[in-house]
Amino acid sequence: MRFKLFKSGVSIALVFLIFMLTYSDTQAQGINALVRGMVQNTNSEPIADISVSVRNAKTNFTAGATTDSAGNFSFSSIASGGPYTFTFSGIGYETQTLSGYNIKEDITLSLIVQMKGTASSLEQVVVIGYGTAKKETLTGSISSVKGADVMKSPATNVSNSLGGRLPGVVALAPSGEPGNDGSIIRIRGVNSLGDNNPLVVVDGVPGRSLDRIDPSTISSVTVLKDASAAIYGARAANGVILITTKRGTLGVPTVTANFNQGYARPTRLPKMANAAEYATLLNEIKIYAGLAPVFSAEEIQKFTDGSDPWRYPNTDWFKESLKPWSSQNYGNVSVSGGTEAIKYFLSFGINSQDGYFKNSAHKYDQFNLRSNLDAKINKYISLGLDIAGRIEDRNYPTRPNNDLFGAVIMGKPNMVAYWPNGLIGPAISDGDNAAIIGTDATGYDRSKRYVVNTNAKLNIIIPWVTGLSFNSNVAYDKDFYFQKRFEKPWYLNLWDGQSLGADGLPVLVSTKKGYNDPRLNESMEDNHTLLINAMFNYEKKLFSDHALKVLVGTETISGTGDRFSAFRRGFISTTLDQLNAGSALERNNTGSALTNSRRNYFGRINYNIAGKYLAEFVWRYDGSYIFPKNKRYGFFPGLSLGYIISKEEFWQKNLSFINSFKIRASSGRTGNDRINEFQYLSTYGFGAQPFITDQNVENLTLYETRIPNPEVTWEVAKQSNIGFDAELANGKIFITGDFFNYKRSQILWWRNASVPQTTGLTLPRENIGEITNRGFDFNIGYNGSAGDFGYQVSVNGGYQKNKITYWDESPGAPEYQKSTGHPIPTDPLNVNNDLYYEAIGIFKDQAAVDKIPHWDGARPGDIIFADVNQDGIINAMDKVRNDKTNMPRFTGGFILNLQYKGFELSALVQGAAGAVLYSQTTSGEVGNYLKDFYDNRWTPENTDATYPRTFSWNQEYWRSQRNTFWLHKTDYIRLKNLELAYKIPASFSTKFGIQGLRIYVSGYNLFTYSPDLQDLDPELGAGTGRSYLVQKIVNAGISVTF
Amino acid sequence: MLVFQSHFKRITMKKLKYLVIAVFVLTNTTSCDKEFLEKQPLSEYSSESLWKDAGLIEAFVNEIYSGIHLEFSQVTFSSLVDESMYRLNNTDVNNSLITPSYLSSFTSPGMKKVSWQSLYLYIRSSNLLLENIDAAPITDEELKNQLKGEGLFLRAYFYSKLVSLYGGVPLVTKAYSLNDDFLAERNTYEDCIKFISEECDKAAALLPVVQARKGRATKGAALSLKSRVLLYAASDLANNTSWAGNSHPELVGYVGGNRQSRWEAAKAAAKAVIDLGAYELYKKDPAAGENTAQNYEEMFLSYETSEDIFVKYFTPLTTMDEYNPGLYATPNGWNGWGVYTPVGQMVDAYEMKDGSKFDWNDPTIAAAPYNNRDPRFYASINYNGAKWRKRSSDVIASDPVGVIQTGFYETWNSNTNSVQIIGGLDTQRGPLKDWNGTYTGYYMRKFIDPTVDAEFTKQDVPWRHFRYAEILLNYAEACIALGEDDEAKLYINMIRKRAGMPAITETGQDLNIRYRNERRIELAFEGHRFFDVRRWMIASAAYADAQSVYILYGIMPDKTTSPTPTSYSVKTVENREWNPKFYLLPITIEEINRNNKLIQNPLY
Repeated sequence: MRFKLFKSGVSIALVFLIFMLTYSDTQAQGINALVRGMVQNTNSEPIADISVSVRNAKTNFTAGATTDSAGNFSFSSIASGGPYTFTFSGIGYETQTLSGYNIKEDITLSLIVQMKGTASSLEQVVVIGYGTAKKETLTGSISSVKGADVMKSPATNVSNSLGGRLPGVVALAPSGEPGNDGSIIRIRGVNSLGDNNPLVVVDGVPGRSLDRIDPSTISSVTVLKDASAAIYGARAANGVILITTKRGTLGVPTVTANFNQGYARPTRLPKMANAAEYATLLNEIKIYAGLAPVFSAEEIQKFTDGSDPWRYPNTDWFKESLKPWSSQNYGNVSVSGGTEAIKYFLSFGINSQDGYFKNSAHKYDQFNLRSNLDAKINKYISLGLDIAGRIEDRNYPTRPNNDLFGAVIMGKPNMVAYWPNGLIGPAISDGDNAAIIGTDATGYDRSKRYVVNTNAKLNIIIPWVTGLSFNSNVAYDKDFYFQKRFEKPWYLNLWDGQSLGADGLPVLVSTKKGYNDPRLNESMEDNHTLLINAMFNYEKKLFSDHALKVLVGTETISGTGDRFSAFRRGFISTTLDQLNAGSALERNNTGSALTNSRRNYFGRINYNIAGKYLAEFVWRYDGSYIFPKNKRYGFFPGLSLGYIISKEEFWQKNLSFINSFKIRASSGRTGNDRINEFQYLSTYGFGAQPFITDQNVENLTLYETRIPNPEVTWEVAKQSNIGFDAELANGKIFITGDFFNYKRSQILWWRNASVPQTTGLTLPRENIGEITNRGFDFNIGYNGSAGDFGYQVSVNGGYQKNKITYWDESPGAPEYQKSTGHPIPTDPLNVNNDLYYEAIGIFKDQAAVDKIPHWDGARPGDIIFADVNQDGIINAMDKVRNDKTNMPRFTGGFILNLQYKGFELSALVQGAAGAVLYSQTTSGEVGNYLKDFYDNRWTPENTDATYPRTFSWNQEYWRSQRNTFWLHKTDYIRLKNLELAYKIPASFSTKFGIQGLRIYVSGYNLFTYSPDLQDLDPELGAGTGRSYLVQKIVNAGISVTF
Repeated sequence: MLVFQSHFKRITMKKLKYLVIAVFVLTNTTSCDKEFLEKQPLSEYSSESLWKDAGLIEAFVNEIYSGIHLEFSQVTFSSLVDESMYRLNNTDVNNSLITPSYLSSFTSPGMKKVSWQSLYLYIRSSNLLLENIDAAPITDEELKNQLKGEGLFLRAYFYSKLVSLYGGVPLVTKAYSLNDDFLAERNTYEDCIKFISEECDKAAALLPVVQARKGRATKGAALSLKSRVLLYAASDLANNTSWAGNSHPELVGYVGGNRQSRWEAAKAAAKAVIDLGAYELYKKDPAAGENTAQNYEEMFLSYETSEDIFVKYFTPLTTMDEYNPGLYATPNGWNGWGVYTPVGQMVDAYEMKDGSKFDWNDPTIAAAPYNNRDPRFYASINYNGAKWRKRSSDVIASDPVGVIQTGFYETWNSNTNSVQIIGGLDTQRGPLKDWNGTYTGYYMRKFIDPTVDAEFTKQDVPWRHFRYAEILLNYAEACIALGEDDEAKLYINMIRKRAGMPAITETGQDLNIRYRNERRIELAFEGHRFFDVRRWMIASAAYADAQSVYILYGIMPDKTTSPTPTSYSVKTVENREWNPKFYLLPITIEEINRNNKLIQNPLY
């Protein structure tokens, strides 16, 4: 069956190939003269899809061309002479004419044309599911951003460039790790207990990467936020992100080269206690435990004065282990152009990111290649062939980020990173000296992922039925992953504190740390997905002013994957890092495989009366292998309506200052099928540990993966949206607003809260949850100009509040602790993590402890927990659910663009509010404390303190029990992007054969203001600070067009 | 190329129609395939295939074995009673501060396998096996019996842990499916003991005395489990429920019946193991002058001994979740974590070589407390001055021999003309990871394989869940309770003889005291004491504040440091407190919220 599917794909590809090969000779020959040029808007940005026509008034010769994505056009077969007139026209721009050109033989005429916008964005064409639509006639709730705006961010990961630009899209960047720094994206917040990721569709193919696409190749990003996504059926409930890549346009080849060099560092480094302070705190731990302090006052003095750096150092671990700035760079060259017959867009890009650590083992390199070809075979048949490939090359140290950054933030300031003689210092825990474990001294963890995405497209205009066309797509995506993890011992230097050499200097001993013997793990993955679809489009005008558009199609998607890994240890040397060099005695290997398939039928009907009354119906009948036979197919319809009131006479008479006003409404059903497959089957999987008999014989183990749920099926989202789009002041002001009301039901969740553990059941997912989510999003902007000065300002934002209306509750839990009626917890698997004791202060003294109910064993300096149910005892009944989670309720962006002559300034200020982070550092004998804690902790002398007494790790009840003291608001506002650019005047650059030259400096996360969280970045996922810290980037670049 | 071209030119308007049809049909080729969406997991077995295949059923049974708790997976029972101390990590437990909403260390990963959730998870696995094994087409009857016997034994084992920790629990003997009524009531303590005991008998009847593959449960294992369970059931805690008040004493102990018969049953159960004749004490007849300390130590480091009844094997590759006694117990001066540090009371419980009690008040003993002790002391405790394994390269220069240094040294600093105190390599002022230094002045030695450098490598010596010495002690305890002192002494003295200790001669209550100390010493750190102090109801003494020793090498008049310790001082190192509620663990509030039929344990 797999073979058959593959064969059908191959046959289509072959047919395409034949077409391509046979149609390469249609290009016209014979060049008399060359005319080429570039079309820009008033911001000097290139404009694509502008029609350029040329006419010779004498000979009546005419020809046409279209600008490409770089704004370029060219004519290659114009006879010399003249006068020629050029006319430039395009949707959204005022038509412009240049006349009186005489063209000489063998001389190239270059034209740079600036076109003024008609100030209306309504003419823009946006990408929607399986097609495009004019913004004016859109009825769904859709946000979009152009590739050029994405490029303003120096972040190499595209998912980090969307936050604040798309109303209704929440983006959180929890990590800055090179190659693994993507944002969590939530469209209109969280709607499910399970997987909330939107569906990402690149050039019509679901499941491709948003994070790793080369930003230079993006033409546009569109987000379907409401039921208009129903055409994607069972995977659309979390919203759909459509990415469209650039394509070639008519004209001679245009080469654009872009290079930028950036420097990254963590947005914030926590301020830690110094050695003397840390020693003081260690003493306090012992004193509170009734034991003798460790350090004498003289010793603490030595930490302070630095008189004995061998015995009493004072180490700033952030300074010792991290670089001030880490390099990153990005380069891209693209070529585009084409003739009527063949258009091409080729792009090659490289980006590279270094890690924060000194001599960092973290490094990420990516190579991107894309070739998008369009061939027009005749009036009726056109073909497209896209091939995109990339290599993701990740280099990491062998220790996980939790340990790496743990070693830094927990780093003991009373221990050296390097001895005064420059040698690397001793082991902190298990050899984790932060100054070395971020390097390749511990071995390496390298992986390469090779990805090939291909699309072959066929478009046939069916001649015998006017308005009917046929489309087919075959997309074959392949990725191959190979990881090699070589761990080896590293060496640290210990001084026993006593031994002195003949020279009177301490004697250091080099010792092995980490892994006793080198060991190697290699693993590979091989995956492919094949998508085949076919659809008919039909357009017809009915009566005088009715228009009908119909789309019907079918699609199948199938995939398989294989996994394999092997391990050996006992390498006798680190020189060879191949499996065959490892010991044959202790080795291990494993493998597994996966398979999936989906089939669906979909369609869309648009009906438009007089351009005023708009209706769209989309549907999908979706089938997924994930569910049992009788639950496998689902029907997902979406209806949306629009009414352009501004086209009514009464409006134009009375409200003409509002040039355009459209109200929209949509409603529909979408699905979410993202759960582990085969929940309806009773299966047994391999246990992680073998069972050993006879001292050393390993026996395989099998366990029941879950009990089956034969009824498992989709999550269903009912999505309703009401919105409006308005333009005022001749399009200078635009306003879009949307209100939504979503209801997710049949949410796939486990009944762990109510099924007693005595059953021993490993539960399957069941369709048991219901959630509502309501909110709004908006975008308001103004485009203005004054002389040479142009400016655009816009504000966008989204607010969403979700509520669990039904799910599995523990029957005996008190009402105020239940989660029904509250927002989806931060971690729905640990729903009670959002139950907190209410911290209402710190016990000043014993009298305070005696006065009110307290935790058993509480003492002065401890945190006071509120006796919520007032029963005189502090126990679990006093925990209260906190409604705030890690998901902000409100997110927004403020975008400012300024242009003056060749200068451009763009800024994006982004913010979020309504989220919280539970933040505790791993402090105590295990690691250092925040300086803020040292300064403001309770001591018998400082009883009016903001922090409690010194603790060791989680050994106090107010450390081990989740309480609101450690809960911080992460509300923030930050300068997400800033770009200052200068465009060399074309009149100057063309002298050097350069059509456009732009230099710029830009930044990412430059300033952050988060009043309730000072030491960590508000987007950082880990409240311990033990994860790869979020990036700040400064960047400079140059872009040249030939 | 020409061929293609001419071929193409024939594709005219007329043929376009066929092309569209052809492509459309091609894209839908798979639509004709009705099974297109019918997939099977590629890396898992279906239930149907598993229960038909003896090999797969055996693999399923193999997995049930991993439900058995292992000591020394970080937090360990020994640190939750008066055997050792895990730095300052379990103070809430040792102060009896646990509640139904706060189980403290009992929720840590090392205790996972004795959690209510995990034990019932594996009980379900056993139930699944027992429901399906009879119908399974296994032609080899012997194998079928063996697998069934293992399932019965394992389920009984999990229930025995539940009953020891919680008292009577719901006896779930069927594998639930999704829409069953899940709310089960607690069975009485008596029912539970009866159930476990009978299941052990059934298992013993099916299991062979010697398994072809060692590590699997045997007849002896099933009978040993029965011995342990019946001994616990005959003990004070289950037969004196006054501590629990009047609410549901039947859940935490016997409310009627004859205690004498319980002791007799316990005695008979132990005797049944002895009468199997399959086991004997390791090196039970030491020659005069034989190093019995070494015998005792190597018993736990051997891959196989005559004393093994039920054993867990490892390979160095098996990364048993949290199990890594070597790394955890090794002193910081060997780059270990040094977390199972024996408390002073435990160390002091080791008798003198002549069988007399150790006493700090005896000036001779106090001057050299580690001389002339029970040989098992030298095999079990790493004390200051004990020779152990070779130091690692970091500190080998300071200590080429490899001697435990938990003492402190007064040295003369000629620069400042004053005495300064320097910590030994294995103290909290040592050069290596000082925060891992012992608080008590001792480290654990028993079970720790000195041939393995635990900083890098996990030891793979087996762990003994049941060994013959326990059975002999179980037997002796029942005999004492039944007034059969001579019979008891016979067996206790077998163990003492192996250890190189003189025979016990006391009778009556004195004998019982000697017996209890013998059990404490012989089975030290093996996970028994936590339960023993409860069932003997001596917990209030066992949860006295933990003690440590501070050892000082004083400065001599000539300003050199004394080569031998000049003082030992005993100090309190961790406050501990007993509350009778801690006889049993509370059922978590979450579980009671799920099932309102569950009755909470007394005093919570």
